[in-house]
Formats: sequence, structure tokens, C-alpha cells
Amino acid sequence: MALAVLAMTLAVTSAYTPAAGAAATVGGEVPDFALRTLEGQNLRLSEFRGEVVLVNFWATWCSSCREQIASLEDLHDKYRKAGLVLLSVNLDDDAVQAADMARRLKISYPVLMDGRKDVAKLYQLENLPLTVLVDREGTVRQVYPGFKKGDEKAYLEQIRGLLKE
Amino acid sequence: MAKDLAGGTAMGRVRRWVPLQALFLVLLWAAAPAGADSASAASAKAGQNAAPAVATSGGSSATPPSEPPPSATPSGDTPPAAADFKTIDQDVQGLKKEVLDLNRDLFVLEEELLFPANTQVAVFVSMDVGTFFGLDSVTLKMDNKEVTNYLYTEREAEALLKGGVQRVYLGNLKVGSHELVALFTGKGPHERDYRRGATLNFSKSVGAKYIELKISDRAVREQPEFEVKEWE
Repeated sequence: MALAVLAMTLAVTSAYTPAAGAAATVGGEVPDFALRTLEGQNLRLSEFRGEVVLVNFWATWCSSCREQIASLEDLHDKYRKAGLVLLSVNLDDDAVQAADMARRLKISYPVLMDGRKDVAKLYQLENLPLTVLVDREGTVRQVYPGFKKGDEKAYLEQIRGLLKE
Repeated sequence: MAKDLAGGTAMGRVRRWVPLQALFLVLLWAAAPAGADSASAASAKAGQNAAPAVATSGGSSATPPSEPPPSATPSGDTPPAAADFKTIDQDVQGLKKEVLDLNRDLFVLEEELLFPANTQVAVFVSMDVGTFFGLDSVTLKMDNKEVTNYLYTEREAEALLKGGVQRVYLGNLKVGSHELVALFTGKGPHERDYRRGATLNFSKSVGAKYIELKISDRAVREQPEFEVKEWE
């Protein structure tokens, strides 16, 4: 009996606690992380609670990532004053190369370096780009794997909806 | 006509004063019953106003502290839909409180189950002054295995300087001797990149073990000091 209670309790607690390797699932709490930006500043995702956050994973060798970044830059320009925060997580091993690309793509939002791939593992990243939309409560509202032309319209619609909440 | 609008003529002044006087009288009439209990109409109105306030204070346990105070609208005038809405709102607040309580209980239970006291090891970080060191990250190695690598944001470092103590690691260790290596990185004196390690060999017995990594300033040498100490 006692064992059954213990097993049930463990089942409940393990269901309640986000596992260390929890991926970003729609409706779930966004996995928190802290990374260093290209400028050397440390940023933690949970410190943006209260804002609508778009987390974008990319790498310099990913061509659709570069295409997507141009659309994201437009969105950021337009909605940052309304409370949209954009964080890009770069997965390159070489920070210099990433910084060079960020400069060429004119990325105006923070570029976080995940050289150790800790955050990529945390989000169970399988392909690039991956974009995660987080609401003001820290809940994942949308996960966009990959990017194709026209996807930015879906981003826009979702972001506008979240900013109004 | 232009003079009238500007209030230049006597007629214009009268026209401007009449509505003002009327407004003043209305205000006076409205204020008088509230202040004086003698008038029957006033006492009836005051009674109506007081009723919801008394009911609210009596039922404080069901009312969350964040709820706004009841409006001055007499309870008799409250439409049924609004009353229903209020009840639902109270129910939601109650449910939220219960969820928070349950969350707390589960958190405590989880810690007790996953990190029993006889194997538990917790490592804390604290900072004193911080003139000669700006904390950037702490890496912990337990028995030559990296167990945590924590990056500090500006806000977190500030919180530590204000007296905060952060639990940077919680894990399980078997009874016996162990080695803890803490690696601190940050900005040292004159804004130079600073990297320093500190080692502690400790013995884990039955019962929880608490270790503190204390960063303080050594004013004489104008250098930061890193101390690893065990809590008794």
C-alpha cells in the first residue's frame, strides 16, 4: 500500500516538474535558460516574463534561417515598442563567424551564443530554424519548425493577438 | 454676441453664474444627507451603503486580499448578472489559491523524495561588497564531474550584492569523502577578465550537507576573495 502511494506520488511529481530536457511544447511552460550575448552580456529568458517573446534558433550555415531573420527583423522593428522581445540563439561553434553574420544581416535584437548546445538540447532541437513564441505568462503559445516564405504572416497574426492579451 | 461669449456684459455674467449656482446647490444637496444622520432619507441611504461593506469584512476569509473594495452602489441596486460575475470571480480566486498551495506542497514533496536528507548536498553562492569582482558565472565540479554551470545576469548579480543567497546546486552524494571545485569567472579589478578556482575536500556523513561559496573583497590587497565553507 505504502509503495503504491509512493509510486503514485512520484508519478504526480514527475508529471508536475518540467524535466531537465523538456522541449518547448505548446501550452507548457517555456524551458528557461541563460546565455551570453555577442556583446558579452548575460540574458535569462525568465527575466522577460511580462513581455511577448519570440525565441529564434539559427546558425550561419542554415540558408532558410538567414531568410527568416530578415522577416523577423521587420517584425521586431514594428512591434518592439508594443512589447515584443526577440531573442535569437545562435548554434555556431565560432562566435566570431556568428558575429560577422549577425552584422551582415543587421540583426538589431540580442544574439545569444549557445556554443555548448546546452539550450539546443534543452529544447530538443531537431532542425533549424526553430522559432518559439512565448506569451506574457511564460507559456509556449506556438512552435514554428523550419521556415518558408509566407510564414511571417502567421507570426504576425499570432504576435498581434498575444500583444493584445 | 461676441461680447456675451467672452463674458464681457452683465447679461453674460448672469448667464454664466446661473448654471454654476445651480451646480453648487445640487452638490450641496447631495453632500448634506451623507454627512447628517438626522434626515430619514439620509439614514436609509447610509444604511444601504454600509450593508455590503459589513458583509465583505465579515466574509474576509473567502475574499482574496487583492480584490478591490466594494463599490458604493447600494446592494439592492446590484443587477443579478453582476452578482453572479462576482461569485464566479471569487471562485476563480479561490481555485487559484488552492492551485498555488498544491504547487507549493508538491515542490516540497518533490525535494523530499528526490533529494532525501541523508544524501542531499546543496551549494549556495553569496557575495559581499563586490567592488573588486563582478560575477559572471560559476562552474561547479563534484568529484571531477561538472554538475552545474550558472550564468549570472546583471539583475541576479545585483540581487546577490544586496544580500541574496542563491542555491546554485542541489544533488545527491553517497556517504564518504568528496571534492568540490568551484570556478568563478567575472570582471576583476580594473575591469580585467578574472577567473579563479576554489577547492573543498569534504566528508559527507548521514544528514544533509550545505556548502557556501562566499565571494568577498579583500580591501588590503584590492582583490576579491573566494571562500568555500561548510555549514555546520
